[in-house]
Amino acid sequence: MRDEKTLISKVLVLDNSSECRKQIRTFCEAQNLQALKVLEENLLSVLRSNVDLGGIMIAEDLGGKPQDGIRLGQQIHALRPELPLFLRRESVQGTNDLSEAEKATFTGVYTIDQIHTLQEVIETSIFSLVYPPQLVRGIAEMTQSSLQSQFKGLAVHIDTPYIVRDRLIFGEIFTLIPIESDWCRGYMTLQAEEAPLLTLVKANKTHIAPVEGDDFRNLNGILGEITNLIWGAFKNRYSAFKPVQAHLAQVPIVINHMHRYISFGSVNPQLCFKCTLSDADNPAMAPLVIYQRFVFNLNWSPEDFHENDQSLDNLVASGELELF
Amino acid sequence: MAQILVVDDSSTVRNEVGDFLKKNGLDVAFGVDGRDGLAKLKADPAIKLIICDVNMPNMDGLTMAEKVRGELGNAAVHIVMLTTENSPAMKERGKAAGIKGWIVKPFNGDAVLGSFKKLIGA
Repeated sequence: MRDEKTLISKVLVLDNSSECRKQIRTFCEAQNLQALKVLEENLLSVLRSNVDLGGIMIAEDLGGKPQDGIRLGQQIHALRPELPLFLRRESVQGTNDLSEAEKATFTGVYTIDQIHTLQEVIETSIFSLVYPPQLVRGIAEMTQSSLQSQFKGLAVHIDTPYIVRDRLIFGEIFTLIPIESDWCRGYMTLQAEEAPLLTLVKANKTHIAPVEGDDFRNLNGILGEITNLIWGAFKNRYSAFKPVQAHLAQVPIVINHMHRYISFGSVNPQLCFKCTLSDADNPAMAPLVIYQRFVFNLNWSPEDFHENDQSLDNLVASGELELF
Repeated sequence: MAQILVVDDSSTVRNEVGDFLKKNGLDVAFGVDGRDGLAKLKADPAIKLIICDVNMPNMDGLTMAEKVRGELGNAAVHIVMLTTENSPAMKERGKAAGIKGWIVKPFNGDAVLGSFKKLIGA
């Protein structure tokens, strides 16, 4: 379903058995899942703050009684219904003994000796969209060069791209731009915290004067221009330069500020890149983290994916003047 | 009195391009969109070169270029687009409007300074 080498996803593991956690971790590694152990008492704060989860694995006997994990699963499901939950059962196979509401809570159930049976449901619930590896690599390249052009003397690190199902908003600055082509339609978002961006402006690491950082609109503008650069590069590389059909379908985008939650009206997983910018000469300076997400909620036809030939005569290298 | 008018809705780009040109001894004015760019051009007859984005609110850069040649009847000022766009159709529209050149962002001042100076006769 996905390129084995380029995409991962993160899952929280709520399980008190160290032996089971070990087996779960081994299984996850084989599935390109990064298993993150979390204590039950920290769960709610992790769920409120963690913006890049693909799912949660939970043991039914979490608190010592069989129903504890199931009840907690129902609470998590109510809070974050977009996250698939996988229930580890102690001895009972399947879900015949569970109520309909309990069954609906969990995307998959397993016993530890049958954990391999989760493989298929993970493919369909977490890695359910095919992302061509050329696309994933290309986005990382164009993001890297766009970031480098807008910050002076900073190291840009992009984590291995991953799949997320959560819909949480990170930080205070959020950009959103439509991505339109003949094979995909959706949105790209960039999300960042204001404080570290302001620190970089004050340290004269951007193209705006340090004093201009006092106006938050200038900070918005930095992320806006990065968005514009990546959007343009995406279009130039992956769109067919054909007019997009008129009267295309749209769906409302809903943002709930109370829950820092954004819905694009689709349950599709999102492609996420975590970009970290840091100053090697000043390690004490807080790094700027930018989350870049792609949600192809309106059309996703990877079978029609194509990359424009960059060697065409009419494609001049970025930054150079093409005289007419 | 400016030699070059930079028109871009992004303050980051205006700062980046403007600072670079000023450091290299050129006089620069700014517009925040196509409509504002037209007004600035009308008000300053000394402008010899417009560096202009395509995608802007209120009036896009290609429409502005067409109005410079059409409504203003100004055939003398040079116009160079600085944009993320690289579509052949857009470039053709730009050529038809008498645009002199096209730069795909990000801006690389060192690569284009010599050409800018030639265009304004500096």
